[in-house]
Amino acid sequence: MTETEQIRSKAKELLDGKKVDCVIGYERATDGKNARPMFAYNAKDADRLIFDQTCRHNLVRYLLNRKDKPTAIVVKACDSRAVNLLINEHQIARDKVVIIGVVCPGLVKTDWNKTGDKLRDACQICQQRTPVVYDVLIGEPKKPEPAADAYPDVAAMEGKSVEEKRAFWEKEFSRCIRCYACRQACPGCYCGECFVDRLDPLWVGIRIAPGENEMWNTIRAYHLGGRCIGCYACELVCPVNIPLSLLNRKLEKEVMRLFKFQPGLDPETPQPLATFQKDEKLGVAE
Amino acid sequence: MSKFISKKDLNAWLAKVRENRRLVAPTKVDDLILFKEISRVEDIVSDYVNTDLSPKEFLFPPTEVLFSIEKKNGGVELTPARVEKETVIFGMRPCDAKGVVALDKPFLEEPTDPLYKEHRDKTALVGISCLKACAECFCSSMGSGPDDPSGFDIMLAEVKDGYLVQVLTEKGKALLPDSTLSESSEAKPKAADVSKVPAEGVNKKLRQNFEDPYWNRLADRCIHCNMCSYVCPTCYCFDIRDYPNKGKTDRVRSWESCQSAGFTKIAGGHDPRANKGTRMRQRFAHKLLYFPEQFGVSHCIGCGRCVKSCPVNIDIREIITDVQKLGAKGE
Amino acid sequence: MSNNKNPLLPHLATLENVIDLTPDVRLFQIELNDADFKAKFDYKPGQFIFVSAFGTGESPFGLTSVAHRKGPIEVAVRKVGTVTSSMHDLEPGASVGVRGPFGNFFPMDQFKGKNIHIIGGGIGFAPLRPVILTILDHRSDYGDLFILNGARSPSDLVFANEFDTWAAAPKTRLELTVDAKDDKWTGRVALIPAVVKELQLSPANSVAIICGPPIMIKFTLTELKKLGFADEQIVTTLEGKMKCGLGKCARCNVGDKYVCKDGPVFTFKQISGLLEQF
Repeated sequence: MTETEQIRSKAKELLDGKKVDCVIGYERATDGKNARPMFAYNAKDADRLIFDQTCRHNLVRYLLNRKDKPTAIVVKACDSRAVNLLINEHQIARDKVVIIGVVCPGLVKTDWNKTGDKLRDACQICQQRTPVVYDVLIGEPKKPEPAADAYPDVAAMEGKSVEEKRAFWEKEFSRCIRCYACRQACPGCYCGECFVDRLDPLWVGIRIAPGENEMWNTIRAYHLGGRCIGCYACELVCPVNIPLSLLNRKLEKEVMRLFKFQPGLDPETPQPLATFQKDEKLGVAE
Repeated sequence: MSKFISKKDLNAWLAKVRENRRLVAPTKVDDLILFKEISRVEDIVSDYVNTDLSPKEFLFPPTEVLFSIEKKNGGVELTPARVEKETVIFGMRPCDAKGVVALDKPFLEEPTDPLYKEHRDKTALVGISCLKACAECFCSSMGSGPDDPSGFDIMLAEVKDGYLVQVLTEKGKALLPDSTLSESSEAKPKAADVSKVPAEGVNKKLRQNFEDPYWNRLADRCIHCNMCSYVCPTCYCFDIRDYPNKGKTDRVRSWESCQSAGFTKIAGGHDPRANKGTRMRQRFAHKLLYFPEQFGVSHCIGCGRCVKSCPVNIDIREIITDVQKLGAKGE
Repeated sequence: MSNNKNPLLPHLATLENVIDLTPDVRLFQIELNDADFKAKFDYKPGQFIFVSAFGTGESPFGLTSVAHRKGPIEVAVRKVGTVTSSMHDLEPGASVGVRGPFGNFFPMDQFKGKNIHIIGGGIGFAPLRPVILTILDHRSDYGDLFILNGARSPSDLVFANEFDTWAAAPKTRLELTVDAKDDKWTGRVALIPAVVKELQLSPANSVAIICGPPIMIKFTLTELKKLGFADEQIVTTLEGKMKCGLGKCARCNVGDKYVCKDGPVFTFKQISGLLEQF
């Protein structure tokens, strides 16, 4: 059976058996080429579920809208790390979620009404095709791949001078329209009141202007430091193609260097930036 | 016989326009095509169906200072903002011009919004008719069309070696004097074939099926960002807040979207549209029902930008088709 | 600074006096600076203004004074958000901004000759005060006046210093109620809808005007309908998130109406005709 067939079969089994109220997965979008998220509430809905290399959305953020309601969800490897993140942060209950993990072949570079064969940049360097947490696994588990130079463009950025970096980001952020699709698509961004909406004290504010755009994007990246699980849904949804994952991957690299920590591998390990331990190194330059 | 301008003369005219006005036209910005202020006429692209973001930002900026507040001499002085330079927006498509006609309705209606009026009075719209449409275009189903001149001061239609010219308003005539133009016997080019969407009577259907659970189901996948409202040429909800600015305070208006959580939340906590489904329904009810009934023009002009941009494929064409079918089986 | 052409530009005004009504509600008495504008500034019960706390922002407030008494403009401000907190920090003499008056108004002419039931909860009572003052100042134009003022606790009852004046007026009955009493309270302890039910208000030749938290309005409405009040006889004033007050920013859009332009005063017949229920 193909992945699609297996997912449909499992979804129907869970829905008919009333194990869950809803299966969150993917269906075909209106351009006939890409995928879009879909919520299946019964067997008839489940027949529309698909899985292919255009299934780029991280569906885990929808679990935050369905707290306490038994839900099944289709996750790729990166998405599954988000499940662990949310369990670690006490945002979802493990026993209320049935995780349908899919061994991920990688997503293709895709746009509205356009798909292709070339793998997305982040998927080309992905080291983990098998979900790290699941109740059902679809596909043959793959060994994690060796860590080649995972961040060539981060290294390239590091090589630039401060002036070059500043010019680069000024240009990129000048296009930001503050639609907050990045925030809304991210499973780690779930604050009841985002810092950018807060007026008193006023941290950034909602003005759509270069200074505020820079603050918005960089502070959001910092708030995800040590938490970003590397799905880069933010970069995928940005309507003006800002290379947001550069910021996240730089912080990932630093967190790995300092703490040997990758977020989302399991739900128990305390996050280094959210915990303080007695025997902790206090100086960074050690 | 129609009026005609050659490509060479057009570029010369645009260069002249640039001298003492802001010239805004479609240009390439990395992989995107956006309306930007142009410094060189060569930067204007010609191979595009439409831009990724709408040109509404030149009449209704994403963020604009309404007035500044200064504490002076024991009192307070308020200084309203003014629009200094004249602007010409070149290369607009008929759908976006129809979008400006729609945007005019709430802003120019009494009491007139003075800042929008200044932008509007000081801006000329020069359009190019559409010979090609993209799959997502559906302007002709929403009250516009690939060669609809509504809203333009000047409208061009591309033919061999140049453009047929229609000068439609006094502003257009002052901008592009007759002496610049020649005559041509070229036929009007065939307008693009545009897909159809069954929008006729969707307002009535929406009203009849207002409480349908359809909206909750649709809202399941909506992530409530602001993208649809921001790429849309006709969305106009805005927020007003005070921001400090070097010893003074600016009262600033910024784009906002009815989709974001907390849009209707009042101090004290009550939020009438806390439910995702009600916010989803509000967008389409405003677009397809309230606005057309209030102002007599469509609030969706069929440009398809929201369809292309929405990260989760909330597709207004699909929604219009679905709404027409709601209640058909009679519940 | 003439701004009659710019409806978003506030008129400068001065905070004359601040009176504490409850621990979190203050009455602000405001005088407009420009003599011409002040002379022309006329408003009716039910209308609202935007008050600017310069540097923080502006918010809408129901006018709680009456123009015909020719005193300062009065608004009751509950400290509940950013702008209201800034306003509570202001002292007499401070500069504020005023825009308005906006909105429609209670149709006092249509109420003439009728019995009026005024039911208000908490800060929701503030926009009803102008109706009371208008009736008291033109007493013989109206029938019986019944006022029910409720709050969470005795210290949250607004306009307590005026209760005696109201109760003393001819053909006027004042009832107070609280959700929870304190040591000194000897009066009624009940929710507003329960009081309405207990008192069996009569719908004959009557109008009921209610304002308060949404949940209070919902349950009071139920009781009034059980007593026989028709939708056209029940009037309320809606609150909505507002930014421009001009029907432009679309913030207060409820169904196909704008609270700032078509409201804030609506009868329940109009509200049930709205597609959305706020």
